[in-house]
Amino acid sequence: MSKLVLWLACAALLALGAAPARAQEAQPIPKNSWSFSGPFGTFDRAAAQRGFQVYEEVCSHCHSMNLLHYGDLVGIGYTEEEVKAIAASKQVTDGPNDQGEMYQRPGRPSDAFVPPFPNEKAARAALNGALPPDLSLIIKARADSSPIKGLSGGADYVDALLQGFKEPPAGFKMSANMNYNIYFPGNQIAMPQPLAGDDVKYADGTKATLPQEAHDVATFLTWASEPTMEERKFTGAKVLIFLLVMTGILYAAKRQIWADVH
Amino acid sequence: MADTAQPKPMDAHVSATRRDFLQIAATVVTGIGAAIAAWPLIDSMNAARDTLAAGAPLDVDLSHLQPGQQIVVLWRSRPIFVVNRTAPELKSLQEAAVLNRLRDPESAVDQQPDYAKNWHRSIKPEYLVLVGICTHLGCIPEFTPQPGGTLGPDWPGGYFCPCHGSRYDLAGRVFQGVPAPYNLPVPPYNFVSNTVVRIGENPAGSSFDLNDVEQL
Amino acid sequence: MNAPGNQSQSKIVRWIDHRLPVFTFMQHELYDYPTPRNLSYWWNFGSLSGIMLVIMIVTGIFLAMQYTPNATMAFDSVERIMRDVNFGWLMRYIHMNGASFFFIVVYIHLFRGLYYGSYKEPRELLWMLGVIILLLMMATAFMGYVLPWGQMSFWGATVITNLFSALPVIGPKIVAWLWGGFAVGNPTLNRFFSLHYLLPFVIVGVVGLHLIALHQHGSNNPLGIDRKGPQDSIPFHPYYTIKDMFGLGVFLIIYAIFVFYMPNALGDTQNYVQANPLQTPPEIVPEWYFLPFYAILRSVPDILFIPAKLAGVLCLFGAIGVLFFLPWLDTSRVRSARFRPVYKWVFWLLVIDVLVLGYVGANRPEGWFIVAGRVATLYYFIHFIVLFPVIGWLERPLPLPTSISAAVTRKGGARLAGASTPMEKP
Repeated sequence: MSKLVLWLACAALLALGAAPARAQEAQPIPKNSWSFSGPFGTFDRAAAQRGFQVYEEVCSHCHSMNLLHYGDLVGIGYTEEEVKAIAASKQVTDGPNDQGEMYQRPGRPSDAFVPPFPNEKAARAALNGALPPDLSLIIKARADSSPIKGLSGGADYVDALLQGFKEPPAGFKMSANMNYNIYFPGNQIAMPQPLAGDDVKYADGTKATLPQEAHDVATFLTWASEPTMEERKFTGAKVLIFLLVMTGILYAAKRQIWADVH
Repeated sequence: MADTAQPKPMDAHVSATRRDFLQIAATVVTGIGAAIAAWPLIDSMNAARDTLAAGAPLDVDLSHLQPGQQIVVLWRSRPIFVVNRTAPELKSLQEAAVLNRLRDPESAVDQQPDYAKNWHRSIKPEYLVLVGICTHLGCIPEFTPQPGGTLGPDWPGGYFCPCHGSRYDLAGRVFQGVPAPYNLPVPPYNFVSNTVVRIGENPAGSSFDLNDVEQL
Repeated sequence: MNAPGNQSQSKIVRWIDHRLPVFTFMQHELYDYPTPRNLSYWWNFGSLSGIMLVIMIVTGIFLAMQYTPNATMAFDSVERIMRDVNFGWLMRYIHMNGASFFFIVVYIHLFRGLYYGSYKEPRELLWMLGVIILLLMMATAFMGYVLPWGQMSFWGATVITNLFSALPVIGPKIVAWLWGGFAVGNPTLNRFFSLHYLLPFVIVGVVGLHLIALHQHGSNNPLGIDRKGPQDSIPFHPYYTIKDMFGLGVFLIIYAIFVFYMPNALGDTQNYVQANPLQTPPEIVPEWYFLPFYAILRSVPDILFIPAKLAGVLCLFGAIGVLFFLPWLDTSRVRSARFRPVYKWVFWLLVIDVLVLGYVGANRPEGWFIVAGRVATLYYFIHFIVLFPVIGWLERPLPLPTSISAAVTRKGGARLAGASTPMEKP
């Protein structure tokens, strides 16, 4: 039986190992330790709230997060009242009203995050033809640097990318409107350096260094890409304990029943 | 069975009770596992988080609602009737001849918040706010304010459900002798100004949930 | 005829069974069903496959209640399942990883059949029905992968449907018909959803036939010899019900570790980006369970007058089609590899070959990957078309035991010639 488990494990590993090595001319992504990694990891609420502040004050000018609703922010420790206040500070397009016209109203917790641009064309027109990706799932979409495509792989990438803007080496040919980043595949990225340190003034008094901001915003985006992660891991622990007990009893019953055949 | 070997009797050192216990335990624990596994599937059919969140309060502007008129708005996927009742209509709500024919004239059954448990079943006497769903089987009753007509000479004006003929007065109170058992429910609401009513939010100090009514 | 339902204590059971003999049927096929007493744990994977099919159908039905098969809404509806639907993340991860685990279980089941000669007379149709189930599973899995409408869904659908364009003359017409438009789009998504819901029930039907064929002659066994009398069998219940349940427990533990702690390990990160018809991802890779076949597709060069594109497609389908002919390609007189000194080793060459193909399929066709892919593809076909008949002719099988019971009740349990093979029951 143990051999069988070994075989299954080998098969699983092979499947993992067979994952394609993507063309990656960029530098290897440094590994960080994250509050949410490991089977018992949870999101650091304070870091996620600081990360939300960075997103609000910096990233959200270009990047949408269409899958998120203001009410979801309860998940990173904001109270219902705080969420209502955050939502009410936004102007949401609603309508049509009785005159058949769209109108602006203060946001509600059930509203989706207000996007910076009404549509893709408007974004491209405003940003030299570049389209900033929606950030709702960016962590899961960039999790390749982790062998199990876990959330920390994507967080490591975002954290590194935000700190990877450098002067291009001598002789490196840059295209127009592009920026040099040591971690971006191909090293040329349309996004100009968004964070340099002290871009926000943290409400909780934490010093807003560049590594701190990058770490916080990566934490926030990780929560955003899978808000149910804590429930998943917690449920998983209970399920595994149950399965281990069940399998143990089944094994004992199997031994007993088969005792007279062997 | 003929082509199957009969298993040898149990070895003497394994008592029959222990064998029974293990087999029962195995069956029970597996059964419990299967039952627990069914719960996520069943629960997934309950209203999702976003569906619940979408039931936010709704503001309705009454400034264009003339006396005797009704508007219908949609709140939480349900039709909400808002009526501006005339003075004669309000008077008819208190006539003994009508009250005698109602099933629950005093609104004794919990089909409304406390602030609508009065003779006009509303906050302001003229403005009626109702959930427009017949308590019989869920059809939408028709607004029929004119007295008399095809509904008979003693029809005081009110709501008539086309599905099975249930009748309500202009406060949503059900008549006797019709299939509907209860008065039409009143949702939580309050006035944010003289002409704007907010449906889905209680006045300060009240806590009424539409799910608490006897029957929707 | 023995009809236990008729002897049941319960009057109701007797009444029903007299008119509709379901209880007799269950008694025969689930309880008394005589099963070889020497089945190893490798025989667990048949029932595990059945359980996986049930898990996939049940979770799939509940997911379909929340999913929207529309090109503009599909991606968001899947994310709504992940975020807002009660336990939606759980159902989705069980279903998503379930596809992988279904294939793991079925592939092991298939290789078990290959090792112990379970496809040989009188189980040829049993085997062929199994290959049909595999084909249906592949179609179902492919269409299911399209439904989340991520980048890999869209481009995978584009590449795989384009396979049919390799057919001469009618190819392009077939592709346009599959799409229902000028490219993969909303009509394609809609029909894939419809078929993805239908095909599993077709699989259930074929599984039924598979079981009828199985119960006609009963299970093969590690010795590959027929049962000679009652002493060779034990009733299915409780012996194999409990053994299958225990195996299920172990399997579920491994499955749960993936679902709860590395749910995306077997998937592609690009599928968390919504489908974009204007941008191909850097690399299009199918799910791991298709990689060996994908490698065959890409490895084949021009063959004589057949262009590489058509040749690749033909070899891809041929790789599965050849399985239908195994009962007749195998000329050996004995079933089990335990008594086949040469085939016992050649079998492992096939395992390694398929793993190499899988590895090649996961990587860009560059450098030595091209060579490895071609060699492995060539070996795959040689294995079945040449080695199978030739080894059968030339090999001298070891002497077979006189009966199952003689072999397993010999002193020291199942220690036999060839007992040290890796497939031996632990």
